Amino acid sequence: MTTTFDPSALPQLQQQRIERPWRRKPPIFTWSVVLATLIPLAIVGWIYWSTDIPGAIVMTVIYLPLQLIASGVAAFATRGRRGILDSVIIVNAIGATLFTLIVLLSVIGSLIARGITAISAHFIYQNNVYVSPSTPLEYGGIGHAILGTVIIVGISMLIAVPIGVATAIYITEVRGRAVPYVRFFVQAMAGVPSVVAGLFILTIIVATGAFQQGAFAGGLAYAILMLPTVARTAEEVLKLVPEDLRTGALALGSTRARTVLRVVLPAARTGIITAIILGVARVIGETAPLLLAAGSADATVVNPFGGPIAAIPTYIFNNVALPYPDAVARAWASALVLIVLVSILFVLARVIGRGRLSSK
Amino acid sequence: MSLADPEIRDLKAAATSHRGDRVFNRIITVAAFTALAVLAGIAVFLGLQTIPAFQSQGLSFITTTAWDINTDPPTAGIWGMLYGSVLLAVIGLVIAIPASLLLSIFTVFLAPRKLAAGLTNLIDLMAAIPSVILGLWAFYILNPTAEEWQRLLNQYLGWIPIFQNASGNFLGTPFIAGFVLAIMMIPIITSVSREVLARTPPELINASESLGSSLWTMLRYVALPYGRGGIVGGIMLGLGRALGETIAVFFVLKIVFEVNWYQIIESGGGSVATLIVSRFGEVSGEFELSLLLAAGFFLFVLTLVVNVIANLIVARTGRLQK
Repeated sequence: MTTTFDPSALPQLQQQRIERPWRRKPPIFTWSVVLATLIPLAIVGWIYWSTDIPGAIVMTVIYLPLQLIASGVAAFATRGRRGILDSVIIVNAIGATLFTLIVLLSVIGSLIARGITAISAHFIYQNNVYVSPSTPLEYGGIGHAILGTVIIVGISMLIAVPIGVATAIYITEVRGRAVPYVRFFVQAMAGVPSVVAGLFILTIIVATGAFQQGAFAGGLAYAILMLPTVARTAEEVLKLVPEDLRTGALALGSTRARTVLRVVLPAARTGIITAIILGVARVIGETAPLLLAAGSADATVVNPFGGPIAAIPTYIFNNVALPYPDAVARAWASALVLIVLVSILFVLARVIGRGRLSSK
Repeated sequence: MSLADPEIRDLKAAATSHRGDRVFNRIITVAAFTALAVLAGIAVFLGLQTIPAFQSQGLSFITTTAWDINTDPPTAGIWGMLYGSVLLAVIGLVIAIPASLLLSIFTVFLAPRKLAAGLTNLIDLMAAIPSVILGLWAFYILNPTAEEWQRLLNQYLGWIPIFQNASGNFLGTPFIAGFVLAIMMIPIITSVSREVLARTPPELINASESLGSSLWTMLRYVALPYGRGGIVGGIMLGLGRALGETIAVFFVLKIVFEVNWYQIIESGGGSVATLIVSRFGEVSGEFELSLLLAAGFFLFVLTLVVNVIANLIVARTGRLQK
């Protein structure tokens, strides 16, 4: 019997999972896994509820070793001596994953639980002028800080996005001799600590006196942090633009500059937007540069050169350790606002970038 | 087809002979060197600020530990802070490296595909949590729990020197600060090591499995050696992040101007970045400000060295083009 190749069946063939006979699990395997999970849990639960040993000790000193032994026995029963090390890795890997998830859930959960109490309509738009740390939550808000963050991030985008995209164009389009060096400097710049970026802007203020603490200075400090992220992401995106588009445009008589501006950049449009969003998400929660370069304020400030300005991170910073419950509630609420902003940017970047970046 | 082809290169030469192109190229080239200009600017501007510090303190500015600005003559030294930054980073790494490696092994080799995709998204989101929020969480949520853990550690393992605690105060310790740093490093190290482990050629994995290797032998002899360069680079990137971290550490570490060499659950420690922010609010004048700027210069140099080494390691393996 001859079989002919049927192209229409190809997608289905590709969908099929590769058979790996050596990976088949005997039923005793499933049962030993279930028993090895349930028995230690039962013993630990009994110890925890019937004695008053602290939970942390029960988990680390009793549960983890017990689980390791149980899984080891189960692995030995099903696969012999070589299974024991595997079970150690699997138990620890699941443990590390749970540990990280618990930390993440604790952060997000506490933000929602403690932040929601101070959230209200006026909290989003009012400012802090007539508010002292002991003022009840019926008054005041972080409208001035949200506006300040928007202004500062806007200024840093105006500076960092064109330069960052130009850096990416240099690496992928102009392809000058200095490409390895430029990439190296961009990567080195990505490692500059945020507090150092703030100090740098501060020394410029002190040394030149050209401007003062405020939104412009804060935007400059943010731009230092944003530029490497924009440049590196934009570079990845421009690399995905097919070479044929460039050669095609050049063959039609377009100049190099026009090819980049009219063909390559439009083709990479959504990717560039992703790069900008990732850049904004990188800086929006940075506190140290703003403490040094932008200062803080209670009133609403709109002039970038008009002196110290508030922003969400510095507002949180100023309220965290105050001995007034309402001030602390405001800090939690503004942290919730900030994490919501970050999550929106994060999801936007994922949704916009999905089609283009997933082929990476 | 690439620009390495001679014909294409001629085409490029012909195209760049256009006048508008030359202007365009020049503008782009200038913009591309902004990164270098900023790095040089930071080095020069902050470097100049080390002059007053060294003039008044000499070398003891980086070899001693003190901060008495209002005495005459004032004494200042940041050794304890430099050492503290490294100590906190090491504590963070001790927690973060095993956690991140196990987490990426779970994501790449053990988890079902959908769970792995969800985990990847969650870990990336974790990387996006601003440090001020982690600081807020650590101050109110982690502190009481960590106090309890440390008390227990001291009670049962107090005979080990690093778990000594004479003061009975378990808040503001290097351990808590290092733990917060570990939480910031885990997503960074995980995302890099996950990428390199996921790029282990499936032929190699299948071959080793068909030869009868277990999960452990596969990891030990195939996946981990294959991804070693990328993993080390990721660890160094996390380290660079930890050394420069300011705000989260500010909330949980009590800054003391004595060197806390190894007592990680004793209240008090140091960190250059946190010193800068904690003193800046109550800076007493031009002189103290220049001392803080000088401290910032050494922080810049420290993180730059770590990052350059990290990027060289990652670039040498050449598998991670990010």
